[in-house]
Amino acid sequence: MKSSWLKRSAVAALVAASLGGFGAQAAIAAEKINIASLAFVSSAPLFIAQEKGYFADEDLDAEITFFQAAQPVAVAIASNDADFGVTAFTGGFFNLAAKGGLRVIGAQLHEDAGYDGSAILASNAAFEAGLTSVDQLPGHSIAISQVGSSFHYMVGNIADKAGFEIDSIEMKPLQSVPNMIGALKSGQVDSMIIVPHIAKPLAASGAGHIIGWVKDYVPYQVGGLFTSQRNIDERRDVVAKFVRAYQKGVADYRAALLMTDEAGKLIESDSTAEILEIVHKYVYAEEDAKTAYPKIRNGAMFITEEARLNVADVAAQVKWYQAGGFVDASVDPASFIDTSFIPALAE
Amino acid sequence: MSRDIEAGASRVRFRATGFNPRANPLAAWGSFVVVIALWQLGSSTGFISELAMPSPVAVASALWKLIISGDLWRHLSASLQRLFGGWIIGTVAGLAVGFLVGMFSWARSPGVAMVSALFPIPKIALLPLFIIWFGIGEPSKFATIAFGVFFPTVINTFGGVDNVARNLIRMGQSFDMPMMSIVRKIILPGALPTILSGFRISSSIAIILLIAAEMIGAQYGIGAFILAAGNLYQTDQLIAGVVVLSLLGLCVSWLLGRLDRWLLAWR
Amino acid sequence: MGSGGFVCDFKVMDFAMRLHINGICHSYDQVEALRDIEFGIEPGEIVALIGPSGCGKSTLLSIIGGLLKPTSGKVLMCDQATPDGCLNPLTYVFQDFALLPWRTVAGNISLVLEDHPLGKAEREARIAEVLAQTNLADFAGAYPKQLSGGMKQRVGIARALAVRPAVLLMDEPLSALDAQTRILLLDEFAALFVRTGMTAVYVTHNLNEAVRLAHRVVALRRRPGTIKAIHSIDIPIDQRVEGMPELVAHQNALWDLIRDEAIAADKELDHVA
Repeated sequence: MKSSWLKRSAVAALVAASLGGFGAQAAIAAEKINIASLAFVSSAPLFIAQEKGYFADEDLDAEITFFQAAQPVAVAIASNDADFGVTAFTGGFFNLAAKGGLRVIGAQLHEDAGYDGSAILASNAAFEAGLTSVDQLPGHSIAISQVGSSFHYMVGNIADKAGFEIDSIEMKPLQSVPNMIGALKSGQVDSMIIVPHIAKPLAASGAGHIIGWVKDYVPYQVGGLFTSQRNIDERRDVVAKFVRAYQKGVADYRAALLMTDEAGKLIESDSTAEILEIVHKYVYAEEDAKTAYPKIRNGAMFITEEARLNVADVAAQVKWYQAGGFVDASVDPASFIDTSFIPALAE
Repeated sequence: MSRDIEAGASRVRFRATGFNPRANPLAAWGSFVVVIALWQLGSSTGFISELAMPSPVAVASALWKLIISGDLWRHLSASLQRLFGGWIIGTVAGLAVGFLVGMFSWARSPGVAMVSALFPIPKIALLPLFIIWFGIGEPSKFATIAFGVFFPTVINTFGGVDNVARNLIRMGQSFDMPMMSIVRKIILPGALPTILSGFRISSSIAIILLIAAEMIGAQYGIGAFILAAGNLYQTDQLIAGVVVLSLLGLCVSWLLGRLDRWLLAWR
Repeated sequence: MGSGGFVCDFKVMDFAMRLHINGICHSYDQVEALRDIEFGIEPGEIVALIGPSGCGKSTLLSIIGGLLKPTSGKVLMCDQATPDGCLNPLTYVFQDFALLPWRTVAGNISLVLEDHPLGKAEREARIAEVLAQTNLADFAGAYPKQLSGGMKQRVGIARALAVRPAVLLMDEPLSALDAQTRILLLDEFAALFVRTGMTAVYVTHNLNEAVRLAHRVVALRRRPGTIKAIHSIDIPIDQRVEGMPELVAHQNALWDLIRDEAIAADKELDHVA
């Protein structure tokens, strides 16, 4: 008899335990989200939100998946393998956004006259031969990663604003940034446009000359924050929570990395060291702090307050890509931009 | 009488059926038509999404735009120059090395070893080296294609030379034919069928490598066009470019068929 | 008719040559194929080499024509007189014909003339002449694949005749042919030898061919190949007829010579395979 009693109470305990466990789990279950990103400083607000617990505060169980290039980030959202993505705008992105149900809900980097963004570099040979300013670019070659990439757009944007024909510059698609750097160093191309944390060391080491800045040809909304239409339709509250956390990350980023003195020079704030430490976990993680921190600061381009998207500039970009045949004529920016979470940047 | 014979016998069954496929050009074309029709049907009904695979109509219209804008000829002429130049360089070098390996003991073992070691290397992996060696201009594009064409040509050529009947070479020697005459009149024509079938492989490899060759620094070219369309997710243009490559392959194969018939009429 | 008599019968004696096979030994790796082969070939003489498989008769023919370097010994060509217009004194006729399939009949003959300083007209004249001699005039433009085995071997003969050889080296020229064709070509060979007085070394395993064509038959024994006997047949070739009793007697005598060797070869092959 004794043994049967024991058995019965053991079963009861097991049932209770499992039921209790289940109930507890349901109560604290955070919404799982998957974020697609590149291990670049441009994604720093995501890392800050993750490390400082802003996602957790919103009851989000966020997982960041890293990709090697911008395009796969967009593909991951289109295929519903990830919920949110942050990456640069390209012709491919716009095509994919229109066909694959992507919705741009906020901003990534923006070129701003007050902050160093991408630089225009001339090779040593071309510089010595007289390519010392941007308006001398016609008749020279320029390295880009791919046709219809953001590099391609920047050349076109500069050509438009500087007042020369883009056809007067010879585009050299070289597929990757290392190829572009190699071609510039060896003088196989005359020029290229590249992010500040690559441009500055290159110029400092004498491998090229900075002849201009993309910020002189603003506005330029470099990239955006996006999700899928399905997420907006089915999990609108999750999107809103994610946006809030991302904006907190952006605020920390701005406070730590974008503070300037009266002269417009970048200065350290109270939180700079803390944010650098966080970003360093994701970017240049294999290097020690001494070499990584300057790179992170060099790469920390401007992000608008609250990650507001420059909708007008995105529309202008789409138009430029369409004129070149890189984006299908049927693509309408209004169809993939959703400003119901974050208001658009005021003009 | 014959009835009686049949009565006590069972008829021998015909057993040699099958294993004898025959060509049917109508079925070949028909299969294309059926596949394209099903594909269009899938796209029209929404079963195949536009992102996953553009409809045949979209591909055809992309192709048509490419033709009327004149871009097709610009891309094609750039690519054909690279294909032809690279193929000629690779083939001439391959034939020369192939003959040396096929005929001389001193070239044999080193040649075979080098070819075996280098043939399987994906040429695209060497692209950065080609760029350092030959720059980002046309030479590196020629080199990529030539390099890809070279190895199968060497292998086919020395295989062809090996296959030339020894008794024919002995015959030539027995008539005191000079070495060069034996090479030109016996070995070369004897190896030609193998060399020509190698041309089919090497020309296909050249077309395959066109994409790799035009990855770097090419503004025009079918390969560059396909790459750009892929990067831009303009899948209709991507497939249109692939169709052009495929047609190019068919043309080359047809031309090689004519060459075969002309050079190997004796078969 | 004495065995020496037939030499004088040949009007072409003045441009024929004499071959001396002088102490030929040959080994492949460890296997000794030929040992101390020694005999001479008179001008205008047809010498048949017979023997069981593996006795080295084809090896010996290759050595005679300079296509194989003997381990020791040498082949001497005496009587330097060669026929007028001779381009290749020692000329082979091959068992498998060795015709280039991508050349026509005329092209195959032209092949062996092209490297010699002959005018186009002279070359064409020679081709026409040998085609006529071998009854191939109507087939000048045909490709080898269009020809029967017998026709192919006629092209082989025509090609050999085109270089006006001093000695024909014939390596089982009829073995690849069917029995009927063999009979026809055998008659043609006999007529050819009689007409031209050609010197020839004729390798065969067929005793009937040997007794129809040869003045002397060299019978080899095997492992290592040595000369077992040299058998003379002193009937003028143009008087030899298929099935005549004298020839049958010669054939039987030859068979007795090599019969044991043939049986041994047969058995050996059995357990080698």
